[in-house]
Amino acid sequence: MKKSFVAIVCLLGIVSALFSAWGTVSAQDPKNDPADYKIVMIVKQSDSWFDDMAAGIEQLKKDTGLNVSVQVPETGDAASQIAIMENLIAQGVDAICIVPNDPEALIPTIQKARDAGIVVVTHEAPGIADKVDLDVEAFVNEEFGQLFGENLAKAMDGKGSYAGFVGGLTMETHMAWYKAAVEYISENYPEMKPLTDEPYEDKNSVDGAYNKTLEILTAYPEINGFFDCSAHGGGISQALSEKGKAGTVKVVSLALPSMSSTYLKDGSMQHGQAWRPADAGYATCYAAYLIASGQGIETGADLKATGYDNVNVVDNIAYGFAPLEFTADNIDNYNF
Amino acid sequence: MKFTIDRYQKILIFIIAAYCAFVGFVNPAFFSITTVFDIIRTSSTSLIFAIGLLVVMISGGIDVSFMAIALFGSYTTINIMIAYGIDNLAFAVGLSIIFGAVLGLINASLINWLKLPPFIITLGTQNLFHGIMTTFVSDKSFGAGVLPPCLNQFGRATLFQIQTGSGTIGLSASILPVVFVALATWGLINFTMIGRGIVAVGNDEESARRIGFSPARIRYYVYVWSGILAGLTGIVYVAQINALYPNKLIGGELPIVAAVVIGGAKITGGDGKVFGAILGVLLIYLLNSTLILIGLSSSWNDLFIGSVLVASIATSSYQERIRNRKNLIFTD
Repeated sequence: MKKSFVAIVCLLGIVSALFSAWGTVSAQDPKNDPADYKIVMIVKQSDSWFDDMAAGIEQLKKDTGLNVSVQVPETGDAASQIAIMENLIAQGVDAICIVPNDPEALIPTIQKARDAGIVVVTHEAPGIADKVDLDVEAFVNEEFGQLFGENLAKAMDGKGSYAGFVGGLTMETHMAWYKAAVEYISENYPEMKPLTDEPYEDKNSVDGAYNKTLEILTAYPEINGFFDCSAHGGGISQALSEKGKAGTVKVVSLALPSMSSTYLKDGSMQHGQAWRPADAGYATCYAAYLIASGQGIETGADLKATGYDNVNVVDNIAYGFAPLEFTADNIDNYNF
Repeated sequence: MKFTIDRYQKILIFIIAAYCAFVGFVNPAFFSITTVFDIIRTSSTSLIFAIGLLVVMISGGIDVSFMAIALFGSYTTINIMIAYGIDNLAFAVGLSIIFGAVLGLINASLINWLKLPPFIITLGTQNLFHGIMTTFVSDKSFGAGVLPPCLNQFGRATLFQIQTGSGTIGLSASILPVVFVALATWGLINFTMIGRGIVAVGNDEESARRIGFSPARIRYYVYVWSGILAGLTGIVYVAQINALYPNKLIGGELPIVAAVVIGGAKITGGDGKVFGAILGVLLIYLLNSTLILIGLSSSWNDLFIGSVLVASIATSSYQERIRNRKNLIFTD
């Protein structure tokens, strides 16, 4: 008897809590003040890349007064992102921005959030763009790939043989960049030729890039340049300096400034490229605000961040043109 | 006990030699002192890992947490060094080894206490150690510029240098810890009471107990030794790649297990040679680092390595069976 009484009290407590939560969600008055919009960005994990993104979002809060904040999952997997999303759905926020660890795995939770009237905007997830309100990308992959080609060709003075690395042959973005780079070079620099038809795999590790570079140097001593579409060009630079070929063999790599500044400065890497996480976070959260407040986003919209001031919307994906390029001269301006 | 090369190792040496001849035939650039030095440099961390794992496998156990231990030891040590501005290689190696020993002790204690298969325990501690590290230490990456300079000095150091047509090449100092670890482990297994105990426990725990060995104590020795070697390897690894990541190494355990087994260690324990494990690692490295030389494109990598590995294991185990039959040992 006693137990069932306790159970009923508990149940009543839960039900009333649910109702009160529902009450706040349903109270959807039209809002005018940006501070009324609660927008939360869920990043992938805690690292210097996403620290910079959080700094960008903090800037957005200052600039616009939006009630925007960042949630960092404890582990870099879909499960912890889903747990945070569930929590935010229960709180009834206005918009959730997310950089998914595993886009496909998030689809049911995203659906649940949208059913609850929450705007969901993703970044780095073009594959599930039809399942969300909007996906924001820093650039069209082909254009970013062409930049690899252009930078490598300039570093090599437009002639010689080169090799490209990807993390793995199955990684879509890496392969898209690789193909665009090779096509760009073959169209514009006929005196440059790739060593092989396929890129080499560094398996997303520095030692992978290092080991393969040693082998390539033995097999093709005539090589003049490398480009790496996974962020591990440091391994190439390391191998080149140890073989006394730093500077004579050119390296262009996707890179984090914090992980590549040494190589750029000592001349074993000529060019790094990436995109600015702070700007991407800024634009993504601002896009979420525009949608949540009913203003919507079309081609030409201004997301207020550098490179995102005139986005191109195709198939529910808003493309900016915000590649970030760095060399020994400007590397110290970035701290992510 | 003298250093002898058994039949099994002869077969491995033959396979390695035949494969080298094949690669050299396809691409003569392979036959150069540079290749030898490159393989020594790139395989050095795997060699130490394999020797540590070998001791565990001889005792009848298995350890899949050694990568996590190496990462924990080196990452935590170097974080401390960066925070306090310490730049001393001996400090790095010493502290990382202490971390490794403590984590190895935890492995052994859990195995002795829970009496569960070591595979399950170390699979669990692999995640546990990594989780403790990313939660309580840090999970940031560090580039070459902020690492203590002594690490990269060691990573780039050479014992001597040779002038070749394509520039100067040197023998990496990374070979020193490998040689030291190999000799120490060989001595441990063959010339000490502990070593005899490790082999005895691996063959049959009950028999070992009856002749006076304590299997629990032997396991402490084994996993602590494995942890110490992992801690050492962690530092060598960071010195070589000249960058500190919170998520590398982990996931690379199985190729090491494969190398040790190919090197002739019995999965059920009781048998295994240091020289065999070294040959196993060299074979795997040779396969991995000659694909470009023989002109295979990346998409063939796994297929090719898998085929050669299966073929070499099949050859050596078939030879083993023929020999056993001659000695009237029927294993099937």
